[in-house]
Amino acid sequence: MVLAFALYPGVYALLADSGLSTEVVAVLPRIETLVVVLFFGLFAMSFDFISGYTGYLSFGHAAFYGTGAYVVALGANGKLPALGPETPFMLLLVLAGVAAAVLALAIGSVSFRLSGVYFAMITLGFSQVLYVFVRDWDFVSSAPRDGVAVTGTLEGFRIGVPGVDGLNVAIGQLTGDSIEGLFGFINLSPTEVSFYAIGAVVLVCYLAMQRLVHSPFGRTLIAIRENEERARAIGYNTYAYKLGAFVASGFFAGIAGALFVGFRRSVTPENGFYFLVAGDALLVSIIGGFGTLAGPLYGELFDASVREFLSKEGGGGGLLPYLRANVGDATLATELYNGLTVAEAIDTFLNGHAALYVGLLFVLFVLYVPNGLLGTARDRMDGTLAKAVPRRVRRWFDG
Amino acid sequence: MLRTSGLTKRFGGLTAVDDVDFALESDELCSLIGPNGAGKTTFFNLLTGVLEPTEGSVELRTGAGRVEGDDGEGGASTGDDGNGADGWRDITGAEPHEVASLGVHRSYQVTNVFPNSTVLENVRVAAQAAGGDGMNFWRNAGQLEEYIEEAYAILDRVDLADRADEPASALSHGAKRQLEVGVALAGDPDVLLLDEPNAGVSSESVDRVVDLIEDVATDHAVLLVEHNMDIVMEVSDRVVVLNQGAVIADDEPAAVRDDPAVQRAYLGGYEPGSADDGASSDASTGSNDGGEPA
Repeated sequence: MVLAFALYPGVYALLADSGLSTEVVAVLPRIETLVVVLFFGLFAMSFDFISGYTGYLSFGHAAFYGTGAYVVALGANGKLPALGPETPFMLLLVLAGVAAAVLALAIGSVSFRLSGVYFAMITLGFSQVLYVFVRDWDFVSSAPRDGVAVTGTLEGFRIGVPGVDGLNVAIGQLTGDSIEGLFGFINLSPTEVSFYAIGAVVLVCYLAMQRLVHSPFGRTLIAIRENEERARAIGYNTYAYKLGAFVASGFFAGIAGALFVGFRRSVTPENGFYFLVAGDALLVSIIGGFGTLAGPLYGELFDASVREFLSKEGGGGGLLPYLRANVGDATLATELYNGLTVAEAIDTFLNGHAALYVGLLFVLFVLYVPNGLLGTARDRMDGTLAKAVPRRVRRWFDG
Repeated sequence: MLRTSGLTKRFGGLTAVDDVDFALESDELCSLIGPNGAGKTTFFNLLTGVLEPTEGSVELRTGAGRVEGDDGEGGASTGDDGNGADGWRDITGAEPHEVASLGVHRSYQVTNVFPNSTVLENVRVAAQAAGGDGMNFWRNAGQLEEYIEEAYAILDRVDLADRADEPASALSHGAKRQLEVGVALAGDPDVLLLDEPNAGVSSESVDRVVDLIEDVATDHAVLLVEHNMDIVMEVSDRVVVLNQGAVIADDEPAAVRDDPAVQRAYLGGYEPGSADDGASSDASTGSNDGGEPA
């Protein structure tokens, strides 16, 4: 899958140049969308790490994403104490994670005294308090309701190995580096460079979380999800385990928020701290597979692709422009019902209603694919994909 | 091994456990019997820290083999003074995980395992708790083979080794009862509290569970709650009878059986081996419901 992600920009470019150009552009998500998929997917994975593995729904998870985002935005504007605007992004990234983890420790130590729906509600409460606070805190910017844009530095944020110039690249849609002539034949646009740089950070975070999930610690979390009373009775201090998982989850959510600002260079209370940010994470976790860790990334990929496909986007592809351009005029003018032409029908049903169809898809997923994309695939293949796919391929070749 | 003095639990106006002085020796199998609602499960919950007693104390004298710090969990000890000069440690009001890490484990009247985990993982995660490795977050759990080996040894003992890879929820009721005991065993306990391991088990499978009880009693102190008087008479070294929260008899099985107060409160004319008399059928229906307070 890592390989599939790595090859995607090349394949996309290749197909977009081919004879199928319009179809490809209409159906496949753009690279820019995939960058969002990566960092929001990381956030959704961090949400799944706590909610899918311990069974405690962290409805206020946006607080950690927002914290990470604001730490980077404020840091780059020179508003954090003792840190100038020239602070390297890699340091801000870690700081964002640590700040979110500290916040998680504070919120978690209170919230884990409760369980079930009360836990979900109290974390939601905390995140909404922070949302309102950030919205009205004029320290962050002169118009806190509109959020913070990075103005302290005009250069792109650099991701890479600290201290090695050759291994650092700047990210961002406008400010990022472009690379030409890598290995002689690879040319990358700033968005593609951002895609790989952010992808590398997300991969490292995923591997770290993966490690945690398969450790004895992770097994204990699963035991807590399965039966917390018994986990306590066999000697686990479940409070400490839940809190530890919450702190780790908050750390990675903070990293995701930091990558978000690194790429977009601005954050508002609405797309950082608002509870629907956590709602989106829940949605893609369920689509992708709850308690599978990687599933939420696929869920986010699916969700973003569908949204983009159904949304009206100027030159960016999608269903609506495709239909307008490729369905014959005679068909478009055909009257369907009571003066409604096909063209008008397309417009009425598709224009701006992506969220409606995503909502319907979500309902279908909960009803018919309760284990999510990855969960169902694992059930069918009887094991994780990494193990099952080679096994299947071998069997296929053996006849 | 384990003793209580004046242990009392009141729920509002109801006294579920009433001034119980009880002691369990390190090498005995003691049965706790009494009618439904006598307070047996509440008594278990008091011993394991699930409930906090209204009055009285619970004390534990852990075996020589159990070293301080073996529990592996930070903050697991109830007091830094540890065991007193006589070796008794007050565990009144300790958290369930602290009691467990001090060597007191229990099984439940209603099967209470990790349903979607495999049979092996159920036992392995309990062994891992006892080994103090739960907080280990870097190693791969599959590489810590000592716990896997230990889990297989325990599955052998409870006769489930051939079903190790099945999810616990797929087991039959009888097998779940065996797993229930297996999970308790995997915590490497000194004291094992078994709450009706035979609850709802069909008469054909009872023998297997009885063998298991007798087997674990060879190397653990066991406190057994049981409704089937034939089993109680067969396996117990000592029988304690609870009625309305209070101890009304505490003696050898035969003496308890002939005690008029016990006959009146619970046994109702029980004769050994008479499977179809009133008391036995009473007992078997009783074992199917969980109608005890709390």
